[in-house]
This record gives sequence, structure tokens and C-alpha cells, in this order.
Amino acid sequence: MLCTLVAVALRSKIELTSLAMIYIFGVLVASVRYGRTAAVLNAVLGVTAFFYFCVPVHDSFVMEDSSYLMTLSAMLAVALVITGLVDRVRAQSNKVRDAELRITSESMKNSLLSAVSHDIKTPLAAIYGAATSLLEEEDRLDRAQVRGLIGGIAAEAERLNRVVTNILEMTRLESGMEVRKDWYPLEEIVGAALSRFESALNGRPVTVHIPSDLSLVCVDDVLLEQVFVNLVDNFVKYTDAGTPLRIDASRTGETISIIVQDKGEGFPSGSEDRLFEKFFRGQTGGIRGAGLGLAICRAIVNAHHGTIKARTMPEGGALLSIELPIGGSPPDLTELTEGSTA
Amino acid sequence: MTSQATTEPRAEILLIEDDAEIRRVLRTTLGAECYRMREAASVAEGLQQVHARQPDLIVLDLGLPDADGIEVIHAVRRWNRNLPILVLSVRAHERDKILALDAGADDFVNKPFAVGELLARLRVAIRRGTSVHRENAEGIFHLGDVAIDLSKRCVIANGQETHLTRIEFKLLQALIRHADQVVTHGQLLNEAWGPNHTEQTHYLRVYMVQLRRKLETDPARPRYLRTEPGIGYRLVTGQSD
Repeated sequence: MLCTLVAVALRSKIELTSLAMIYIFGVLVASVRYGRTAAVLNAVLGVTAFFYFCVPVHDSFVMEDSSYLMTLSAMLAVALVITGLVDRVRAQSNKVRDAELRITSESMKNSLLSAVSHDIKTPLAAIYGAATSLLEEEDRLDRAQVRGLIGGIAAEAERLNRVVTNILEMTRLESGMEVRKDWYPLEEIVGAALSRFESALNGRPVTVHIPSDLSLVCVDDVLLEQVFVNLVDNFVKYTDAGTPLRIDASRTGETISIIVQDKGEGFPSGSEDRLFEKFFRGQTGGIRGAGLGLAICRAIVNAHHGTIKARTMPEGGALLSIELPIGGSPPDLTELTEGSTA
Repeated sequence: MTSQATTEPRAEILLIEDDAEIRRVLRTTLGAECYRMREAASVAEGLQQVHARQPDLIVLDLGLPDADGIEVIHAVRRWNRNLPILVLSVRAHERDKILALDAGADDFVNKPFAVGELLARLRVAIRRGTSVHRENAEGIFHLGDVAIDLSKRCVIANGQETHLTRIEFKLLQALIRHADQVVTHGQLLNEAWGPNHTEQTHYLRVYMVQLRRKLETDPARPRYLRTEPGIGYRLVTGQSD
């Protein structure tokens, strides 16, 4: 239709053959965009309209049949050839995309497998080795050696538990987790995470600055606590005893900003963007882990429509910043005021 | 560890757990702590033993072969409100724990567990079963350097006396009654506001923040008023070990 309008408008100004090109263009567009049926229909309608509106002795079909048929078959040929080509190109690109997808999920599976096999089998090997040694060599070991082996079993089992928990958590997050939000004081969530680390903090001083009048936030407490647990766990794993940690929170508009920073060595340079990828591990320095901690943090923060970023401070030290939307208007707490019923 | 043999000399524990290895570890450990042990591997066997033996405490696994372990809690609570039940569970989901606690379990220990933690929870549960209250004659309950005067409804911390509001007092009272045990949001809301307000958990959280400001040196790193995310609160007295 559009072609006819353009052609009719231009018919007095340009030659007939050029006008026919406008219709070919229409057929081309239909072939590429809408497939074979649309292209053929466009060709037939186009040629009919072309002869009806544009060919001299206007507005009639008294043209020679042969030239009409020739134009029609040319148009049909164009439609069929182009749609054939387009189909083939599409099929090719689909194949390439499928292959790419397969490769991505393959490499995902591979990295999961290698993380799983390394991080599960290593502690298992230590546990199995120590236990069989205790079973078979008991008489030849002195008390200190026995205690050492037993201590190793306990420590490795605990590590194994952490790895398995992280892998399960990540799997749960990816399979579409349930986010159960309610209104929480941030202070309580941070406090819950920190109280899990009392002995592990090993004298590292921690200061928390959360304004006492900070708004409640609408979050899933169990998930958000996990974010802080993973961040503090990294801090404990990657800094020396005595390194201070600081947690600050503030509100800007409808967003709560949380800064978690330490005075350790910071992140390996250039790795800041990859830190949140699954299975990415920075300089490990012999410290084990599946490389899932920060990936879990990002998945949880994203599920709350927030962002999490990492950088190394110019003076050294890791800084993680989380921006979290408050998530609506906090509940009115005036009902809380204890009235005359007291 | 040494005091156990004298304070709870021969408490009888019924362990309802289907995994033979876990039973063996617990039989060895609890036996070494002078507890007498009974074992059952299913809900049916467990209930039969409860009636036959009248144990002092039940350690209960939730994933049992013949039925959900929570059935044991329901059945026991129908005729005995005081028999302590400690849930031992591999289930990580908070909802399962809340269900078990609200059904009447005293506390839970996650699998895998460290024996020290299990023993501490056991002692607390047994103590509760024999209803030993730890406030002294004047009604003063001690939390480290903090004293809570239950008759005057106030907290004395750093030589300073702070008055508790009615709700704060009710919450603290409930937590003291269950000292060192987890108390669910639902149970606390019921205690402080009554049965019609068990959904408004954010009120509760705001009150707990206020209470921490009165009790804790660093409210953002609580020593006593601990949060169990997704479940409730636990008043940690530091006297359970």
C-alpha cells in the first residue's frame, strides 16, 4: 500500500522502470522481515497495483498481458530468492547461537564441577586420610599426633560444610528463590551477622555506624544477613589478625547506602569487575573457597533491586558498597507508643 | 564439662534418629557425659519409648522414615507440656524450625553440629525441664555486668538505672523465662501484645532494638539479645557452657 502511494505520487516525475523498483523494494522488505507468504502476497498485490495505478492508460487493466505476467514473475522470483536466502542465514545464526549457549552452559558446568571436585574432595581427602590413619596407626601415634589428626578432621569437616552450604545456596538462588520481605532495622541484620563471628574475628576491631533514626528497610532478613556473613567471612579469611573493619550506613532519598570497608590489602588490582562472578577467585594465597561468596551477595542484592560494587581504596583496603532501595513507605510505628493501657 | 556429672547426674535422654552413625556418635558423646541413653529410629518407635520410659529429654530428628518428626512434638505436647524436646535437624529452612518451635519444641541444633553446642543446648533444655530459675530472691536477673530488676522493672547497666516500658518488660520477661533458648517471633508477639497481633513482627523488631540500647554496650554487636534471622530471638546469658 505504502509503495502504491509513493509510486502514484511520483508517477508523473520519474520513469516507469524506476517506479517498478519501488515495488521491488516493498517485496524485499517483506521477504526479509515477514517471510515467504508475506513476500509472495506483496509481489502479487504490488504488481497488480503497479499496473492498475501507474502504467499509462491509467486506472485500467487493458495493458498487454505478457508484460504484466513478466513483471509478476520477476517480482515472485525476487520474493522467493530473497526469502530463501534469509531463511538460510537465520538457520545458520540460530545454529551458532545454540552452540554458544551450549558452550556457556558447558563451561558453567565445568567450572562448577572443578570447583565442586576440588573444594569438596580436598577436605574429604584430609578427613578420610586422618580418620584411616587414626584407625590403623593408633598404637604408633603419640597423644599430640592423635590430637592433631582429630583437630584436622574437625576443621576440614567445618570447611566442607561451608563449601557445600555455599554451593547449595547458589543453586537455590539461581533456581528462582523466594524473597520474603518485611520491614527490618538494618542494625539488627548487621548485628545478627556479626554475632556469628565472635571468635573468628580474632581480635579484629569492628565498628558499626548505623544512625539510630535510620529508616526501616523492606528486605528478606535471612538473605540480607547472608550478604553480611559472606562479606565478614571474606574479611576474616583475607586479612591479618588485628585488621580493622568498619560498617557505615546512611540514607539518600529512597536509598540506603551501606559501606563495608577494611584496612587490609584490598582486592587484586584489575579484578574488581570479576569479583562477583561465580567461581572467580582472587589471589587465593592458599585460602580455600568455591569463589561463590560475592556471587551470592550480588544475586541477593539484585533480588532486592539494589547494587553492590567493590573497589580498593587509594590508601589500600577493600571497600564494598551496597545501595539498597528502602522498598516502599515504612510502616507507621505510632501505634507502638504505649498508651494508657500500661 | 566437669560440673555436668554433678548437676544432672543421670538424666535419661531419648534419641529419636534414623541414622545409625549419628546415633553412634551421640551415644558415645552423651554416654561420656554420664547421660543415660535410649534410642529409637522412627516416630512410632519413639512414641512407644516416650510412654514406656518417660525420659527426661527428647533429642529429635525431623526427617524420620515413617512420618515427620514434628508428629512426635504434637503427640508429646498433648499430654506433657514440660518434657524438653531438642530438635536436631539438617533442614536449613527457617519455616521448618518455626513449625517445630511453635509446635512446642524447646530449641534446635543444626546438623552438622559441634558437640559443644549440642551439650550446651541440652543442659539448658534439661534445666528448663526442671524449672530452675536463675533470678535470685530479690528478683534480680544477671546478664554479665547488667542487672535486670524484675520487681522494679528496670535495667542497671554501667551503674545507671534505666526504666523499662511495659512492652519491653514483657518481652524481656519472656526471654528470661526461656533464657538461652530461641523464642519465635510469634511466641514473643503473643506474650507482649496478645494473640491478635502475631503478624506485626516489625513492632517487635523495633522494640528489640530499643531493648538492646538499654542492655548492650554495643547494640549493633549484641552480646545478650541475639537475633535468629527468620526465626526469633535468643537471650544469651553466657551461663550455658
